[in-house]
Formats: sequence, C-alpha cells, structure tokens
Amino acid sequence: MSQPSVISRRVATTAAVSLALVAGLAACAGPQSNDGGGDGAGSGASGKPQKGGTLTVLNSNPQEDFDPARLYTSGGGNVPSLVFRTLTTRNRENGEAGAQVVPDLATDLGTPSKNATVWTYTLKDGLKYEDGTAITSGDIKYGIERSFAAELSGGAPYLRDWLIGGADYQGPYKDKKGLDSIEVPDDRTIVFHLNKPEGEFPYLATQTQTTPVPKGKDTGTTYEEHPVSSGPYKVVSNENDGERLVLERNPHWSAATDEERKAYPDKIDVRSGLDSAVINQRLSASQGADAAAVTTDTNLGPAELAKVSGDKKLAARVGTGHFGYTNYIAFNPKVKPFDDPKVRQAISYAVDRSSVINAAGGSSLAEPATTYLPNQKSFGYTPYDHFPAGETGNAAKARELLKEAGHPKGLKVTLTHSNDKDFETSPEIATALQAALKKAGITVELKGLESNDYSDTIHSASKEPGFFLAHWGADWPSGGPFLAPIFDGRQIVKDGANFNTAFLDDAAVNKEIDEINKLTDLKAAAARWGALDKKIGEQALTVPLFHPVYKRLFGQDVKNVVISDWTGVLDISQAAVK
Amino acid sequence: MSEALLVQEAGAAPLAAPASGARQFWRRLRAQRAATAAAAVVLLLFLAALAAPLLAALAGQDPDTFHPELVDSAAGGVPRGSFGGIGADHWLGVEPQTGRDLFARIVHGARVSLGVAVAATLLQVTIGVVVGLAAALGNRRLDQVLSRITDINVALPLMVIALGLLAVVPPSFPRPVLIALVIGGINWAGTSKIVRAQALALKTLDFVSAARLSGRGRWSIARRELLPSLAAPVITYAALLFPVNITVEAALSFLGVGIKPPTPSWGQMLTEADTWYQSAPTYLLLPAGLLFVTVLSLTVLGEGVRTALDPRAASRLSIGTGREGRTKEQAS
Repeated sequence: MSQPSVISRRVATTAAVSLALVAGLAACAGPQSNDGGGDGAGSGASGKPQKGGTLTVLNSNPQEDFDPARLYTSGGGNVPSLVFRTLTTRNRENGEAGAQVVPDLATDLGTPSKNATVWTYTLKDGLKYEDGTAITSGDIKYGIERSFAAELSGGAPYLRDWLIGGADYQGPYKDKKGLDSIEVPDDRTIVFHLNKPEGEFPYLATQTQTTPVPKGKDTGTTYEEHPVSSGPYKVVSNENDGERLVLERNPHWSAATDEERKAYPDKIDVRSGLDSAVINQRLSASQGADAAAVTTDTNLGPAELAKVSGDKKLAARVGTGHFGYTNYIAFNPKVKPFDDPKVRQAISYAVDRSSVINAAGGSSLAEPATTYLPNQKSFGYTPYDHFPAGETGNAAKARELLKEAGHPKGLKVTLTHSNDKDFETSPEIATALQAALKKAGITVELKGLESNDYSDTIHSASKEPGFFLAHWGADWPSGGPFLAPIFDGRQIVKDGANFNTAFLDDAAVNKEIDEINKLTDLKAAAARWGALDKKIGEQALTVPLFHPVYKRLFGQDVKNVVISDWTGVLDISQAAVK
Repeated sequence: MSEALLVQEAGAAPLAAPASGARQFWRRLRAQRAATAAAAVVLLLFLAALAAPLLAALAGQDPDTFHPELVDSAAGGVPRGSFGGIGADHWLGVEPQTGRDLFARIVHGARVSLGVAVAATLLQVTIGVVVGLAAALGNRRLDQVLSRITDINVALPLMVIALGLLAVVPPSFPRPVLIALVIGGINWAGTSKIVRAQALALKTLDFVSAARLSGRGRWSIARRELLPSLAAPVITYAALLFPVNITVEAALSFLGVGIKPPTPSWGQMLTEADTWYQSAPTYLLLPAGLLFVTVLSLTVLGEGVRTALDPRAASRLSIGTGREGRTKEQAS
C-alpha cells in the first residue's frame, strides 16, 4: 500500500497539489525497529558503503511538478532533497536524532530577533549550482517569491501566512518589485520579517521553497523539466512529469559544504507509476537492478508483512520507521449527540484499540495512541490516557456514561469513513470500531465515502459529519503544525478547507499557542506543546486510535540504511549500493 | 391436478412442444447428468444461504464477532494455525486481521450474493417481458418508442452506470436492494428483445389467430396464449442471466461500491482477500472457489434447461418424443 502523504490533509483539499511531496517520505528501519525489522544503519548488505553504482527507486506515485516552488515536502523531501538544497534541512540520522533540524545552505539555524519575528540567515562559503555559478541569498529570495505565483502553487501555506505582505503577494512575474519582507543586504545574507512570532521558522526553512533559483534560468512552469541543481545530483532526464526521473552527479556540489547528504551512488534512477504489489514483489525478489533498489513511497501491507515475517532473509531487508502521524476518531460537537461530552467520553472508553490495530495491519504496522500528538520526543509527547479503554475497550464504563447522558438504552450513530483501501480511515477500521461500540450498546451505521468526497465532506464547515475517521500528519516534527491547525480557534475556515473539525475556539488554547510560538528554544516549546495536548485531550474532541509504523523493503545490495523519525522512511541521500 | 394446469403453473410449455408440459421438462432435465449434478449443487447453495444463521449457529459462530486472539497481530494479522486457522471451532478458518469466522461469513455471504442475483434476475425478466410484449402487441408508435428504449438500454455500459448510481444514492438506502435494482434495471434489454421477437413470430401462428378471431382481447391473448409459449426462451435466458448477475454483484462489491461492511458477500470477501493470496491462500480460495462453482453450476443448469425446453435438442436426448423406450434399452 502506498504511504499516506505527509500533507495529505491539505493536499486532499487543495486537490491541485500532487502527491509528489510524498517524496518527503521514504522508508526504513529506525532504532525502534522491533523483531522482524531491519536494525537501522548498516543493515542490508555488509561492508562499508562505497561510492558508485546506480540506485533504483521503485515508486507508485510519480515525482510530479519537480519544481522547488511547487513541491510540498516534509524536511525537503527524499528525492527532491538530492537536487534541491534548502536553508535548513532535517538531520540525516536514525531515529530520534533524525527529527532535529540542522543547517544546510545556511551556517546555522538562523538568528531570531527578540520576539522571533525577524529571522536572519548567513549562507555558507563556496556554494555552487550545477553550472558552477555561485549561489546567492538573492536567489533564495527569488525562489521563495516564485512560490507565491498562482501558476507555481502547491507548497505549504506557511510562507504566505507568516511573511509580512505574503497574503497579497502575487509572485515575481506579476510583481517585479518582489516581497519587501525578505531582505538581502548582501549576497550571503537573507532576512525574513514575519507578521507574528514564529519560533519554529527553522523548521519551515527546510521546505523546498527555500531552494535557490537563479532568476536568469527561471523558465516559469517549464522550470520543473530541468531545475538548476544545488544538491549532489542534477536532473538528466524527466519523462512524463516525473514518471521516470534520472539523476546523475552534480560535479560542482561539494561535500565540504554539505554535512548531511552522503551521495554514494553515481546515478539515481526513479521509476514510478508501478503498482504497490509489484514494487514489493520486485524488492523481495531483489534480482538484477532491483538488488540496488529502494522505494520512497510504498509500505508493506498486512498481507505482505505476513509473508515477509515468515522469511528471515527477507525480514532482514525490511526497514522500520516512525513518522509523526495520528489516526483518530473526530467529533463535530455541533452535531447531536456529540455535543454532549459524556457521549464523546463513552465512545472514548468503548473503543477496542487492539482490534483497530489489527484492522490497520497489526502491531507491527500500528501502535496504540491515547494522545493526539505522536509518541515522539520532538513533538513534546506527554503521555496521557484520560478515558482509559484498556486494550480492548471498557464497555461497562461506556454504558454507565451513556446512562448518565440520558441514553440508558444505548445510542444509534453514523460513522463516516473513506472507501480507500488504505487501512487508515478505511472500512476495515470502521468495522472494527462498529464491533467494539456494539458491546457498549452503541449501534454504528457505517457511511463510506469516495476519497475526494470524503475529504471535502470532513473539511467543510457546513457538511462536516458528527462522527468520522480522520488522520493528521506533521509538516515538521513539532507540536505546532500538529495542534494549531486543528485546535486554534482562529484557524476555523467557514468556506474552504477547515481543519479545526471540532470548531474549538477556546481563548486559553489560542493564547497558549501564541505564547509557544514565541519560543525559539525548540525543546522548551516541545514541552509546552505536550502539556497543551494533554489539556485539550480532557475535552474528548478526538479519540486517538493509533500511530502508524512504516515497514518497507529494500534491495539486497543496499547499504547504510538510515531512517529518521522525521520522515520514518529510508533516506536515499544516505543509501549506498556498493 | 391436470397436466394442462401444471403447464400453466410452471409456465414451462415450450414453443413447439406445448403438449407434454412440465413433467416432460423435468424428465428431459433429469436425463442430463451434468445438469442434474449442477441442479443439486445450486439447490444445496440456496439451502445453505436460506439456513445461514442456522448453519452458523450449528458451528457455534456468527459472522461479525472479532477474534483478535486467533490472528498473529505482529505478522500483519495472519490467522494462527495451518490452512488459515481451520479447526473444530472454525470449520473454514478465520479471516486475517479480524479473526471473524469464515464459515459463518461464507454462508451469510451466500445470502447476499444469491439473493441479489435472484432479485436482479426476476426484475430483468419482469421488465423484459412487459416491455417486449408491449412492443410486440402495441401499435407501431409504441413499438418504436419501446424498441428505441431497449436499444438505448443495450448500449448502456452496465458497470459504469452501476458505479455511478451506487455512488450517488444515499447510504441509508438498503444496499442489497439497491444493487438488485441497479443490475435489474440496467440489464433487461436482452430479455425484452427476445420476447418481442418471439411474440411477433407467435402472433402470426394459427392458435393466436384463432384466439383473436374468437373475439378475445389483446391482453387476454398475451396472457393466455403468448406467455406460456414465451416461457421456454425466457426461462432459458434467465438461467443464463443469473450467473452473470452473481458476477456483477461480486464485481461491484470488489470495486467497493457493493455491499457495505460488516455484511459479507462473496465479492466483498474477494476484495478483502486479494492481497492475501500468498500468506493466507484459503481466505482467497474460499469465496473465489464458491463463486466459480456457483457460476459454473448455474451455467450448466441453464444450458440444461435450454436443452430440455428445446424440442430439437430434446429429440437428441430421445425423451418426450415417444422414443424413451429406446433410451432405456440403450441404458440397460
């Protein structure tokens, strides 16, 4: 099955955006990998990683819109990050360490002003494009400005929301003057002026929109065919909008300026449009060129995992990773009977997480969730379980609450889910919940919607159902992009894609979000996000169900497997095939 | 009961051999060994479907209860034990990931799969006969209108329309009924064309003219004279439509617009099972095998019915043509 895209929430609603950003996620074994998983770095073929060879990438989704302005990535993406360097990037290490943000083109994570509204970056020395010309801060400014052009849409909304004047700026083709809130006092310095404090700006600077684009080489919408590389590889050919993408070494990239990308293979051959079953079949056979192959978007499904688990050799070629992601039940408190906290609590008590997890693919592919925030340190994970359901649900407690709520004979409710076969919000999960709630006297009618209809419905303030399956992934591994869009009352969108599905507009919550955004100490901020999550959890506006675990195969010649908690997937900038 | 009455009740008087009736039909059908075996299988399946709750109770199972302890959660939810967990408690094993009893789901699934197909076939036959007869007996204008409608119906791509219709109808509408209505409502043109052509041919025959000359009305003639004679081709066609309808339901469920979970149907089970063919083959083989056996049996039975109703084929069987004696001699 395909991995859910990081940004699926927004992508789904702003349909125009392709899943190319899935590039952000590749998959493999982290330190948490348990039995059956690979053991992180060094798994796969033995011996020290060497330069050379061709790494093949077998994917379902093409690398569409391969333009840094249009890509929606987490941490700069996986394939995109080979070609596009950014101001900052994700740390290319296994597990928790990999959830840190580190400098890339910039010398550090940026210097904030006192209230975190002005961020200043200095570029490293000796940065060059694939044609040998120098990278300047003006090119980064230009690259960001391009992403405001309507014809190059697709990226995350943060730059538009945060930069002064961003909301009205139309991009450099219509407005030659540029965006005043991005200053370039000299060729190596760039200064961002934000309309409010944003302590997490260094995370945002990992996105491909901060990639330098030389103005003289910009060809607008056709730039994606041959974007000018700042990274270790350049685009040699791009067929059918990213269906086949061939990358070769960029001779002007210098490892001395890049501590993150290892760039072992000489060539990267990305082949997309393959069926996920075919990808997993080819990776498990690992024959010919497929021995040096990986996938950056295809997980093992439950049935495939069952097969792999029985084969020790294959199991050693499975990478396990964790990406900040939560699958949950969402309530719309405007719809009866979900306006009653006792009803929401009753459902929270009644859920059977073990059967939900089995429906999601079993304990190797999903971990139980009782918190809305993912169970990772970088998010500020603070354990809580306000309505303990145990492993299999507490039907007695649920019945008791229903009685108190005036439903002594039980309830009849409708659960909306998608018809996608994704083991996330799909009929399998809904059916497992239906069986569990039945024990508590809650009769659940299932309402399955087609993919697009489903995301339109649950993100429409007027059409939103009362009780539905939902999921949320982080744009970067922090509490900010996880909690603010969902629980900040000022982010309720009346006409358009609304993500605050509980319509929570709580002055105390809004204020705390503002306060945390002022913090530039990311660790301190994480702790506050965790505490806020725990506090919001008391209202039972969601029932967290599980956090997915990614398991992906890689070919037998692949070495130096690195899987960070930022992406949860094998990082191709680290992989070697010799 | 007189033989004539039997004929009317069974509605099974073939076109050119109207005299000998239902008894003869049964004898001709029974003479075909494959058709008899197929009929037995079909009967068994229908009985199993009707008695599904009883059979499941007999096995001590129900189709909706989850048994998480029977699957290996860490290995993707593959059933524990050999052959998909087949054993004394779970006669056909359990479903991967949920541990639901497969025997109970298979027999309950038969209700949906067969029930939808029966309803859809009845609907197709009813619409087809009414439209076909009306076109044959009505004035030219009516014939033209109905024939065009029939042509349009032929041209409708069943799956595409069904997918569209099933996607827009509110989910509160009972799904099996809806699927039967959609399949029945879209795929009746074949029956109507056959009925119209046959009725037009019959209209010119002497017994119909005689009835008309005796002053009987159009609809009385249709009911008393034409319908019994149309029974043979219609039953034959219906017997061939039926297995097609089973596969259409399976296909719709396979494509995710069919039966809603947790209600099982064979097609829906196939959908769930398609990725499991390597790690839990029994899970896939059960619904697939049953669908295969059912459709094969029904097709063979349909062919048998056709042969039994077709005087030319019947003469080859040497039954009901006054030559039975010889058959017996040959057999002895």
